[in-house]
Formats: sequence, C-alpha cells, structure tokens
Amino acid sequence: MLAYVLRRTWQFVPTLFGVVVLVFIVFNWIGGDPAYLLAGKMPNPESIENIRRQLGVDRSYAVQLWIFVKQVATGDFGVSWATNERVSAIFATRLGPSLIVLVPMLVISTLMAMAAAMLVAYLRGSLTDRAIMIGCTVGQSISILVYILVLQYVLAYRFGWFPVQGWGSGFAENLLRYSALPIVVGVVVSLAPDTRLYRSFFLEEINQDYVRTARAKGMSEARVMWVHVLRNAAIPIVTNVMIQLPGLLAGAFLIERFFSIPGIGREVILAVERSDFPVIKAVTIYVAIATMVLNLLADLLYKAVDPRVQLK
Amino acid sequence: MNSFATTLAELPRPQSPGLWTHAWRRLHRDRVGFASLVVVLLYCVLMVASGAGLIAGDWSRETGVSFAPPSFMGPDAAAPSAEPSPAADPPGSPPEDLGIVDPLADALAEIRKELAGVSVSESKAPTLAFGADKWGRDVLKKAIKGTETSMLVGLVAAALAVFLGTVFGAQAGYYGGRVDDFFNWFYSVFTSIPYLLLVLAIAAVLNQKGTLTVILILGLTGWTGTFRLVRAEYMKHKAREYVLAADAIGASHSQRMFVHIFPNVSHVVLVQLSLHVVLFIKSEVILSFLGFGVGVDTVSWGSMLNEAQTELLLGNWWQLVAATVAMAALVTAFSLFADALRDALDPRLK
Amino acid sequence: MLAVPMASDAADPGKILHVTFQAAETGFDPARVSDYYSGTVIEAIFDPLLTYDYLARPAKLVPNAAESLPVISDHARIYSLRIRKGITFTPDPAFKGKERELTAADYAYSIKRFLDPRIRSPYAFLFQGKIVGLDELALRAKTSGRFDYDAKLAGLETPDRYTLRIRLKQPDFNFSHVLALSLVGAVAREAIEAYGDDTHSHPVGTGPYRLKSYTRSSKIVLEANPGYRGKIWDFAPGNDARGREIADRMKGRKLPLIGRVEISIMEETQSRWLAFQGAETDMEYQLSEVAPTFMTEDGGLRPEFARRGIKLDRSIDPEIIYLYFNTQERIGDQPNPLGGFSKERIALRRAIAMAYKVDDQIRIIRKGQAVRAQYPIPPGVAGHDPSYRSGIPYDPRSANALLDRFGYKPGPDGYRSQPDGKPLVIRYSSTPSERDRQFDELMKRSLESIGVRLAIHKDRFPELIKLENECRLMMRTAPWIADYPDGDNFMQLLYGPNAGQSNNACYRSPEYDERYERSRLLPDGPERNRLYREMTRLVEVDTVWLLIESRYRNTLLQPWVVGYTKHPVLNSEWLYMDLEPRPGN
Repeated sequence: MLAYVLRRTWQFVPTLFGVVVLVFIVFNWIGGDPAYLLAGKMPNPESIENIRRQLGVDRSYAVQLWIFVKQVATGDFGVSWATNERVSAIFATRLGPSLIVLVPMLVISTLMAMAAAMLVAYLRGSLTDRAIMIGCTVGQSISILVYILVLQYVLAYRFGWFPVQGWGSGFAENLLRYSALPIVVGVVVSLAPDTRLYRSFFLEEINQDYVRTARAKGMSEARVMWVHVLRNAAIPIVTNVMIQLPGLLAGAFLIERFFSIPGIGREVILAVERSDFPVIKAVTIYVAIATMVLNLLADLLYKAVDPRVQLK
Repeated sequence: MNSFATTLAELPRPQSPGLWTHAWRRLHRDRVGFASLVVVLLYCVLMVASGAGLIAGDWSRETGVSFAPPSFMGPDAAAPSAEPSPAADPPGSPPEDLGIVDPLADALAEIRKELAGVSVSESKAPTLAFGADKWGRDVLKKAIKGTETSMLVGLVAAALAVFLGTVFGAQAGYYGGRVDDFFNWFYSVFTSIPYLLLVLAIAAVLNQKGTLTVILILGLTGWTGTFRLVRAEYMKHKAREYVLAADAIGASHSQRMFVHIFPNVSHVVLVQLSLHVVLFIKSEVILSFLGFGVGVDTVSWGSMLNEAQTELLLGNWWQLVAATVAMAALVTAFSLFADALRDALDPRLK
Repeated sequence: MLAVPMASDAADPGKILHVTFQAAETGFDPARVSDYYSGTVIEAIFDPLLTYDYLARPAKLVPNAAESLPVISDHARIYSLRIRKGITFTPDPAFKGKERELTAADYAYSIKRFLDPRIRSPYAFLFQGKIVGLDELALRAKTSGRFDYDAKLAGLETPDRYTLRIRLKQPDFNFSHVLALSLVGAVAREAIEAYGDDTHSHPVGTGPYRLKSYTRSSKIVLEANPGYRGKIWDFAPGNDARGREIADRMKGRKLPLIGRVEISIMEETQSRWLAFQGAETDMEYQLSEVAPTFMTEDGGLRPEFARRGIKLDRSIDPEIIYLYFNTQERIGDQPNPLGGFSKERIALRRAIAMAYKVDDQIRIIRKGQAVRAQYPIPPGVAGHDPSYRSGIPYDPRSANALLDRFGYKPGPDGYRSQPDGKPLVIRYSSTPSERDRQFDELMKRSLESIGVRLAIHKDRFPELIKLENECRLMMRTAPWIADYPDGDNFMQLLYGPNAGQSNNACYRSPEYDERYERSRLLPDGPERNRLYREMTRLVEVDTVWLLIESRYRNTLLQPWVVGYTKHPVLNSEWLYMDLEPRPGN
C-alpha cells in the first residue's frame, strides 16, 4: 500500500514537468507581453525595457524555465505582475470563497442526484423512469449561461428571495446569504447530468451477479437497493465528485462573475486578461497537483471499499 | 469476466450482419430513440440546406428595424415611428477658412453636384416573424444560420476529438510498454491542467478567430475521455484469439489495430462521438462568452446567447428564446439518440 | 428635513455608501497604477496639492493641501506652493506611534517616485523631461540600481518645511493640472519603505478616507478618516437648478459626511442593474447597455423610476472615441494600403471615414447615450470649440463615388481593388470580447457599403497595445479620456514625436508638429485656440482620424443620495456627498 502511494507520488514528477513545460511554452513564448499593459497610457521604449527587465521577461527562455521549475519546487511563485500582491496570498484568499460555494453545491447536488438516480433505477424501464430521464436530458440541453441569467433575474430580482450578488466577510453570512443562489444555480445545472450518470452507475450494479444472487436468496427489492446497490454505486459516485472538484475550482467562473464571488475562476480570467503570468503559473500548478492528489485518493478509496481492486 | 464464452461471442464474424443489424432493429423499436434520430436528421437537413445557401443565405440583411418585435406581438409602440437613420448627413459646412487646403475638395464638390437630387431611401419592417436583433436582422434566419455553425462546430470538433482519442488510445492500448507510458503521461498532463486554462492557452496559441479556431480548441482539448475508453478496449482485445490469429496469418500492426480490432470497439467510439457532439455544442456557448467564439462573418448559438444577455434586460427576449430553443431541441434529441444508440449497441447495459 | 443639525455634522459611521466597479482595481499605490478604478480610490485616500471646485464648470482649480494656487513665475517655469500646516497622515505602524505631519518634502518625494525605475510608474510621462535634474537622477538610478531620493535636485526644492518649489525645463502652463491629479497625492516615505512591495494594499494618506478592509478585485471598504482636516462644503452653484439644489443642501457642512464607502467589483451588467434595482447599491453609472430601460429618448429618466424617487445625473465624459488610420506607408515589411499622403490614399481613408455608420454606433451600440464628436477636444476641457463642425460627414454614396474616381475598381465579387490592381484588404483590430464584436459588425457593415474588403484582427488587449506602439496596426477604434482638463492632453495624440507612445496613427506632419510646438508655449486662450482649430483641420484634410463620439455618463441615484453631481475630472465625489436615512430604517 505504502509502496503504491510512494510510486504514484513519484509519478507526479514527470506529469508536473509536462504541465510546467506546456504552460511555459504557451503563456511565455506565444502568449502576451505584459510590459505594454503595465507601461500605461504613454509607453516609451525605455519604460518598456525597464519593465521587461524587472519582470525578468528579457532573460533567455532556458533561464526563465529554470526559474519556473524552482518556483514549483519551492512553492513560491513571487508576486503578481499586475498588482505586486504575493501569489500565495492571492490563492489563499480566493480558495475559501470558491470552496464555500463549491462544497455545498457538490454535496447537495450529489445527494439529490443520488436520490433521484436510485429512484429511477429502481423504477427502471417504467414510464416514470423514461419521463424523468427525458426531463433530465432537456434540462441538460440548456446552456448554463441561460440558467444563470434567468435564475438571477427571477429568483433574486423578481421574487427577492436572494441578494442579486455580493460577498461579505463572515463565513455564515457568505454561506447562508450570498452563496445560496449560486449554490441553487449550480445544483440546478448539475442535477440533470448527475442523475443520468448516477443512474447508469446504479444500473451497472443492479446487473451484477451478486445482486441477482441476493434477489435469488429472497431479499426484497428495496433491501437490495438500499444495502447492496447503494453501497457499491456510491463508490464511483464519490470518486467522480472528487475528481470533478479541482476542475470546478477554475471552471466555476461564470457563477463567480455573475454573483461577484471572489473565487479562483474569476481570478484566472483576470490574470489571463492582464497577462499576469505568475498567477497563471501558480493556479495551473496548484490545480494540477490537486487533480493528481485527488485522483490518487480516489483510487485508494476504491481499494479501501473493494478489496478486489488491484492497485498496480 | 474474461471467460471463454464471452471471448467466443465476440469473435469477428465478418460476413454476418450481426451487431449492426441487431442494433438497428433495437434502435427502431426504441420509439424515443427513433424519434430523436428523426429530429437529428431534420437538423442535419437544415444544416446542409443552410450551408448550401438554400435557406437563410441572406441572414445578414437588415430587413427590420432595430429590435423589431416578433410579428405576433405587433410593432413596438414605444419605438420611434421613423427609423432615424439618414442615408447621408448634410455635407459638413466647411469650417471657417483656416488657410488649409483639402486635396480632395474639387473631387468632392463635383461628386456632390452629380449626386444632388438623387435620393435613396429604404424602408424597414416594423416587425419580423420572430423579431430582429439590434441591427434589424431576422432572428429566425440567424437561428437557422446559427444551427449550421453550431452543428458544424459540434460535429467536426467531436470527430476531431474522437479521432485523436481513438488513435492515441489504440496506440497506447495496443503497443503497451513505452508507448503506453508516453501516451499516459501526455494524458495526465492534459487532464491535470484546468480545462479553462487549457482552452485559453490553445486559443492564445492559435491566435485567430473564427469557426476553425473554435473547432480546433474543442477538438484538441476534448480527446482525453475517448482516449481512456479506447485504450482500455484495445488492451482487452489485443490478447484475444482473433487478434493472435490475425498475427499468425501475417497481418501488420496497423492492420491488426484498425482492420481487426477497430470494428470491435467502434461502438464505443460511436457513442463517444455522439456524446461529444452534445458537449461541444454546449461548450461553444462558453467559448463565445470568453470571447473565443466564431468570427463576425457568421453567427452561432453561442454568439446569439451572448448578444442576448443584455437584450433580455431590455425586454427583448426573442433572440435568447430562439437560440435556447433551437439549441435545446437539438441537444435533447442528440442526447436521447446517443442513449438509444448505446442501448442498441450494448444491450447488456439496459 | 429643514432642521439639519449643522453643528454636530461629522462623518456618520452609519452612513454607508454602496457603489460598484465594473472591472478589478490594481491597487492603491499612486505611482504604480494607471487604471480608472484604482485612481478613484486613491483620490479618496490621498491629498494632491490642488484639486477642482466641485460645482464650477468648466473645471476650476482650487487649492487642496496647498494654501493657495501656485505662484507661477519665470514664464511658467517655476511653480511655488505653500503646504497648509497641521495636516497629518492617518496613524500607521510605520510612524511608530508618532503623529506625522504632511510637509513639502512629502510631495517632492512622491513626485520623485514616478521616475524611480523600480516603481515602473505608468504615469511617469507626467514628469518625464519636465523637471530640472529629475531625468538625470532617474538615469543614474538605472545604472546604479538604486534611486537616490536624498540627492539635491534643482527642480524640486523645499526651502522650508512647508514650501515646495518646482523648476521646469520648459514653460508649461498646464503644470497646475498635473499637481491636481489624484495620483500626485502625497505618500509618506516611512510607510512606502515599511511596506516594500506591498504598498498597493497599504495606502497611507492624508485624504478624507482610509482603507478599512480590502479583498482584492472583489471588495474595497473605506472609512472616513477621523483625523481629516475638516474641509467645509463651500462651492458656488452655476446657473442650473440641480447645482443650486445641491448647494442648498450641502453648504457649510463639515466633510466628509459619509462614514463608510463599500465598493464591490461587479463585472456583469445584469448583476449591476439588478443590484441597483434591488437597492443593494446606492449609485450606478455603468449601465449604458441597458440605458433604454430607464432613460427616455430625450435623455430624461423614465417616469416609473422618477416616481420611485430615483434621480438621474447626466453629463458628457471628458473623452473622445475615434477611429484612427495608420498613416505610415508600410506596416512592418508590408505595404500599408491606407498609409501615405498621396491623393488616392487620402481618398481611401476619407471614403472609409465617410462610410462609417457613426449614427448606428451611437444609436444602437451606445443605445443613444453618446454625442457625435466634432472636435478632438471634448466638451468640458479647455480648448474645446463648440462651434466647430466636422468636415467629414456620413455620406456613403459620395464615398463610393470618391473611390470610383480615384481608381479603386470593384471586381466581379463587388469588392474593390487598389488603383494598381492589387487586392485591397483593410485590417481592423479589436479584442476578443462581446463588446468589441459589435464594433466589428458595424465596421463590416460600413465597409460593405463601399465595397471594401475587411479583415478583422483579434488579439488580447496587451498585444494590441504592443503592436499599436510599434505602429503595426492598420486601423483601430481607440478612446482617450482626459488626464487633466486641458486640450493639450488631446492634441498631443497627433504630435509626430509621440508616435510609438500615444500617437497611435503614427501621424507625422511638419505642419501639425510646428503648430503643436507653438501651442505648448501658450496659455489657454484665443491664440492657442486658433492653432488648435488649424491643427484639427489638418487632421481632417489628411484624414488621420474619424472622430466618433463622447459618451454620456448617466448616473442613477437612489432617493436617499444627496449632493451628487458628476465632476468632469474628479472621480470619487463621495467626499462631497451625503446620505439620508433610507425609508423604513
């Protein structure tokens, strides 16, 4: 077990190196030169040169890449080019708000989708099943942009159930007041695809031999669902959620922008707009590491729950 | 799982119509699946007709007034009755003589003399079938043209992504060893980078705008899921007897990979293809939001939805509705069709 | 309502003003920023030497931290100012518990910072080449790596604790405006040195507000500076009812009155609009995209909003938006079909300018919230000429005839070629955003009407600026917002030596440059205005720019907001405003 974890962790290194090189090539070589943006309304060659020298973008690519590798190794990405704020501070302050929205959203939508999926899996083939599945397909076919526009307009503005947007300083205030509508939107958007996906997990289990055996032993269908199927279908569901999380960190930018949440996704967009390379580098590396660690955890979870799984 | 019986059942039977005929029969029996196939085909006809310029070829003509409402609502009472868009401003009264000579003064004076008295005016419709956008273009025609673009983007990008995923997955799964290690490394690099940054990165690399760029962004980032599945399939199949038999009769690696094994994993690829079409049509909207949508010469559902964002607040809901409905109908039909296809091709999952 | 308690006036911590920014700020170190939003906050925290009268239009300079307007001598080469005594910085750990008085040396230090290469100030141009000895000091810093703030400088002298004497290399009648810029407010050297690289989030000033809490690019909270020197609201209204109403309500009150300002960054129009409608914000001006929902066509407030007590403040921003043509013969190593000053090339530029649907831009993209620009200096800025009418009318038919006459023959596909038979493609550059897509569409429609083929070049903003400064863009729509309310700030945009900096058309005309150089030596007045008119006409005749528009600023105010009117130069009017209790509170 320990050997497996160590070997997997060791495999992070080449992957991380690949990420470093890819990001470096794309954003350093082909991407933008921030000097002109920082030089203001009346840039002249000297000020441009001065800025380039201070940012270190006038050095050779090999040197810059080496600096990047060192930054990854030490975890210190220096300061933002646009604002001089420490990159670690940016990440630290943005992670909280992102998680305050994402974690409850994932928990609620997963629980609701599991309940719905179990129900339709139980009723598989019936009219209810088909109707719900078609409903989910329709729900899934509408763009998240439309969901946000309409739900914000109707629930927050027309009905006044939620603030239109905002973010406070207290945890409870943020969670209960400001995150409520973003969470609702997130749940509405992810409920339909999650239900469809989880239904397939349930069906997969229902068709397993052990379920047939359980039924043959005379176990009631409800008990089969609750005891055997749920427990086994929960594994792919939980790992699926874990694997989703890092992607959502940067991917929830639409919700963050419309509801003014100071999260990571919004910061990424801002950093790209400003060619703020230190921030881009840090976010990419952090998210890549989170992705790899969570993938490993997911595999370990599989192993813990199902001893038949071979860790290779 | 890997029992002898299943292996036997999956031996290739090139002459028998087996899998595909059965699948077609099953699909035909699935009413929802079949109905959605019909809808998808109708959309394809629409796409081809629009692409050939048979319909909506004149989508960019400004036939109505700005934000002309749909005909069933009647003209906008609050709108100014006459479009205040003059054919030309009066020639600028020459500013006081500053002693500066316009080199074009003579030419312009003659032109004005020639054009004097000739007047042109065009009238614009106060309402259109399903309303107009801000320039007065017919929203219905835009939606049709958008269907063409968005479907094209979805289909071609999905084809590209699935093609890449299949080729990479086949190599990795078939050869194993170093090759597998390399592709797995590549796969984990790609999946570790946040998708949003990957999109922005590829957009920055391509550094161009237009439909092709959208297709490339989606295609180049979307191959990972297919890769994983195809790789697993190839790993399963390469040790099977029929492949060993092909080896024995002297088939080359690429023959074995694509002539012998591929037909047996093609159902996975086909389902992936249809799932990706849906995914990419939706992703195009987000790309448009980020400013990486289609070019100004054309229109897509994504560009329409982004335009419609603020129009909704102005009470001009028709463009949002047109794009949403057109998109929802196709995406729903396509998803249901993909489900039916999977069920038909892989009845064990039913 | 009538019994306003005058004596007990003081910033009330219960009065909280909620406003929004449409884009993220950069930070609050005055020498390090160039964006509008950071500048707005900096204006509330720092004190420049001079400022503007809140109500006087056109904008009028008044002393701020200085006792009076500068004494200008030696043909506008020497500016002398006396700093008010007893102004103190807000307490900060950097001062080690001592009260820290503002002195003339603080201003000298703050000005020097702009040229410190380590600061890389985007506004260094304000002082570059202007102050005697300062450029040389900056040059030395570049080689030594350290800017010597203690070196004696003939251009920036402090003969005593409260006197600042600035010596310029050239006569400059506009230098007072530079001293009134909020970015030229005084910082304390101890605080700057104590916070090192993190000065952006630790602004220490002497102004009416101080930073209370700060979540970067999300929320900025300011609170009234309790040690503020106590400015009294004392401005004379002009001849308008609104100005008189404001003066009646505010006269004689001790400033600031609003105890707390909470700024939220909201990128999306829908969020800002719904937030204002839901009274989550107190004032909002960044709503031009949805203007028809609250504006009538003649520029008033729709009755349903007026009935709710919502107020509208409307003014024209001191800006111009213009389309420029690159006038160089070559772009990089490619020939530029738009460049040069031969008759055909001028005719092509003229035709494009005449075919551009300015009216559609104002009516459809701006939703009517802009006025056609006729003169390169916008209204409200010294040197503006309200009587001047642009010599380039919208007239696509004449534009077509002009192109026919100069040999731009249409091919079988309807698109014209160059007179020498080579294909003609015009490149228009813009950023990949939904906002710019509208301009692309408009440009395309406009050029289609004269049979000119258009290629849209998309790049991110920093890249566009880079190419622009290398004179490598062919055509772009650019805005210029006044740094200070003087025409020179606009006319320099076409001065030949500024190519590569702000002269984005890379226009080099000896006639223009000669007149511009003369205008720099003149104060605002008829003589300078005459030169400006000639220069404008030159630009028109050569067709370097198409002047498009200046936008209206429509600020919506909740019923309880008192005393607000948009100032043409100042950005954070919070100091001069008040809030009444909200109904139901």
